[in-house]
Amino acid sequence: MSGSAELNRSRTVDWALMLYVVLAYAFVFAPIAASFVFSFNSDRFPSIPLGEFSLDWYRAVATDPLVWDGARNTLFVGLIVGIVSTALGFGAAYTDYRYKFAGKQVYLALALLPPTIPVIILGLAMLAYLSRINLSGNALSVIISHVVVCAPFAMAIIRLRLSQMDPALEPAAWNLGASEWMAMRHVIVPFCAPAIFGALFITMAVSFDEFAVAWFVSGLNETLPVKVLGFLQGQVSPRINAIGTFVFILSMTLVILAQLLLSGRGAKPADKE
Amino acid sequence: MSRDTLVSFEGVVKTFGSFVAVQKLDFEIKKGEFLAIMGSSGCGKTTTLRMLAGLEAPTEGVIRLSGKPINDLPTWSRDTPMVWQSLALFPFLNVRENVEFALKMRGVGKAERRKRAEQWLDRMQITEFAERNISQLSGGQRQRVALARSLVVEPEILLLDEPLSALDAALKVRMQSVLKNLQRETGITFVYVTHSQSEAFSMADRVVIMSRGVIEQIGTPQEIYRTPRTRFVADFLGSSNLFSGKVRAGGQGQVLETPTGQFVLYGQVAAVGEAATLTVLDTKTHLSVEKPAGAVNVVPVRVIGEEFVGATATLYLETAQGQEIRVQKGHDEIADLPTDIGQSLYAWWNPQDGHLVAEA
Amino acid sequence: MRRPITLYGLTFSLPLLIWQVLFFVFPLLFLVALSFWTVKNFVMQPDFDPVNWTTIYGRAVFWQAYGTTLTLAAAAAVLTSALAFPASYAIAFKLSDTARRWAVFLMVIPFFTSYLVRIYSWQIFLSDNGIINVILGGIGLGPFQMLNTVGATMIGYLTLAFPLVVLLQLFSLVFIDRTLIEAAHNMRCGRLRTVFEVVIPSARTGLVIAALFCFILAFGDFVSPVYLGGGEPTTLSILITDTTKSGQQWPRAAVIALTMIGTLMVVAFAAVKFAYKGKSK
Repeated sequence: MSGSAELNRSRTVDWALMLYVVLAYAFVFAPIAASFVFSFNSDRFPSIPLGEFSLDWYRAVATDPLVWDGARNTLFVGLIVGIVSTALGFGAAYTDYRYKFAGKQVYLALALLPPTIPVIILGLAMLAYLSRINLSGNALSVIISHVVVCAPFAMAIIRLRLSQMDPALEPAAWNLGASEWMAMRHVIVPFCAPAIFGALFITMAVSFDEFAVAWFVSGLNETLPVKVLGFLQGQVSPRINAIGTFVFILSMTLVILAQLLLSGRGAKPADKE
Repeated sequence: MSRDTLVSFEGVVKTFGSFVAVQKLDFEIKKGEFLAIMGSSGCGKTTTLRMLAGLEAPTEGVIRLSGKPINDLPTWSRDTPMVWQSLALFPFLNVRENVEFALKMRGVGKAERRKRAEQWLDRMQITEFAERNISQLSGGQRQRVALARSLVVEPEILLLDEPLSALDAALKVRMQSVLKNLQRETGITFVYVTHSQSEAFSMADRVVIMSRGVIEQIGTPQEIYRTPRTRFVADFLGSSNLFSGKVRAGGQGQVLETPTGQFVLYGQVAAVGEAATLTVLDTKTHLSVEKPAGAVNVVPVRVIGEEFVGATATLYLETAQGQEIRVQKGHDEIADLPTDIGQSLYAWWNPQDGHLVAEA
Repeated sequence: MRRPITLYGLTFSLPLLIWQVLFFVFPLLFLVALSFWTVKNFVMQPDFDPVNWTTIYGRAVFWQAYGTTLTLAAAAAVLTSALAFPASYAIAFKLSDTARRWAVFLMVIPFFTSYLVRIYSWQIFLSDNGIINVILGGIGLGPFQMLNTVGATMIGYLTLAFPLVVLLQLFSLVFIDRTLIEAAHNMRCGRLRTVFEVVIPSARTGLVIAALFCFILAFGDFVSPVYLGGGEPTTLSILITDTTKSGQQWPRAAVIALTMIGTLMVVAFAAVKFAYKGKSK
């Protein structure tokens, strides 16, 4: 049955709401669009009217060795964070899916809570703790902290996929003679594959954009977002726009890949469509 | 339109995109009657009810309530309270607050609201649950809350959309009598949509049978049961044996020529040459071991199964042509009849128990 | 059904547990220990001295910052929720399924753009010679100071939390049983009244959780107050970064951080309790 009848709706109200939605999206996308536009604008102090089209800021960024270092760090950190968080998240999701045990609530809290702690507090705690155990000030410290924040995202994504699985599949595999390990290898992992890749890309994207914790613990091995924070602390510089646009395109590529994997053919239950 | 008409549907059509849910409805609902609208899913019965409640707008035609067209009235400006299939009780309000809701919306003061809600809680025997959450109630209790919530404004008409479908069989029967008594005592017009024949026939004063957006028949349960107007209705009720064929002149009147045999019709009923279906209630179909003397409509059959439910026995038989025939009798009526599988018997009926309907 | 602990099971459950205990629980616990350490000649020493607590709690600056942060975060939660609700409502009830999927997809995009870059972008809009002032100047108004104001900080918080709040609100709104709305209409409850009598109570859990997330995000954010608000008034997050990054006053920063966590826990507990109130009476 379609929604409530036309006679219980008001055209005026509907149009006003639609206008409001458009304005809301305009607010959300204004800074993103402006950053994109001004990254191609020659002016030192961006405003309107627009200056000339130029790639100066991209050139400035591309010739800055510190930016390249940052980009390399970001990619390196992001890749490892993606793999480790996805592996940990998968384990946790499977644990939640398959097992019941005393203290499961605590286990799930540990698996899901970190993103709700303000990054600034997490950053401080990480900095203090990691420097105490001599792990601070390098790429490894950033990786460790980012995995703490990213693993919950991976867990959530993969858990969602597992909840779509027919719970009889795994026992069916055992019943047909597969060991637990073989069932994992041939049933669970293939079924979760799209979510696993999705989680990989999403966690990488989260790591690419995370600046606060990284800022606290990275020391000299700054990632790109920390670099941006540096630019922001210095003077206003449209280089931020160039880096922002670059990172945005990179992140969106990953997100769209993840989206395709999560909603693509593989994600639908095999017996439908 | 007569004076005791409360609602009238005049040429009402409802389409959803290219799907025609209801085509050309013309019927009236009388003041104070219990009307059941019955049909299988997708027949348009719920759409009909929702149009009356103002939850769907008719594509064509006029719906009148007390003589006034209500097509353009939003649902909150009509007094057509409805009981939903899901009951649609507000989970964030307790029982009393649910019952008071409609009064609150009408701006009734707090004390008055409470008093009137109290009356209905009492009447529905749910006073003791007044402060409970909806989630703590049983199915039957929820049913009562939903009824109280709709009836608290003492409307002229109450719409019910398969409200009993979630209950178990025993509770269903109990709620049927609750509903029937409630309707009789209050005199409120009930419009009750259901797919269940037993619900419709046990409660309603009149039944509307719908199929594919069209009314097949309107009448009292007895009329419909005894004299189904179309083959669809006879089929839908499932309580008759059907024989399709062509009307011929024969003997003193007319006969229906069917693949199973030639059957004498009661009186002059149809145009010769017309395709028609003869319906004979399974309770009016008789069995005997010997070919009954004097019977005109006789079919030789073989027993293929039997079934006992309570005091009734149902025998399943098959003609030589493979048509199934069903006979319902009390246990004692068939006590002397051999009913082993494969037993040959004769099925027969009196011509006046046969009822001819047009081929749909 | 309880199964014995197996190597197989532990292989999947243990790694995350170990990681989060080592690198999430321990750092937070260490923060507690750290708050009792002392700093002498810019060197931290393990100790058990409440001096950091008494010092921080004895400062008017801290309590001012605390009040400011609490007020700003609460204002952000209320403002964001109020501004997001009509949008979430429209997306949930007025759009087709396809349009709604697109709306959700678009709302997810901001999560993958750098928050810093978006804040910098707002500087372009809000600065004295920025886009908005140029436009206003064109019609003979202004210039207004918009950057380095509390209003700009709010815009920053909105940038941070608006998409999340819309998605969380949306998530609870789309699951509202539509027949409840019809039932309300059927009982003389008009459109607007139904929003307050039925839609908001039905979605209460989600709406409160969304506001809570907004509160948490705004409470801990240091980017908006610094780069849009100009660092004035001082918030707890600014206090933490200043205390941490200048000198070795980590123990004092730990006191502030723990106070923040304590506050968040109280707020979160109260919010969750309110969100689920009456759900299982």
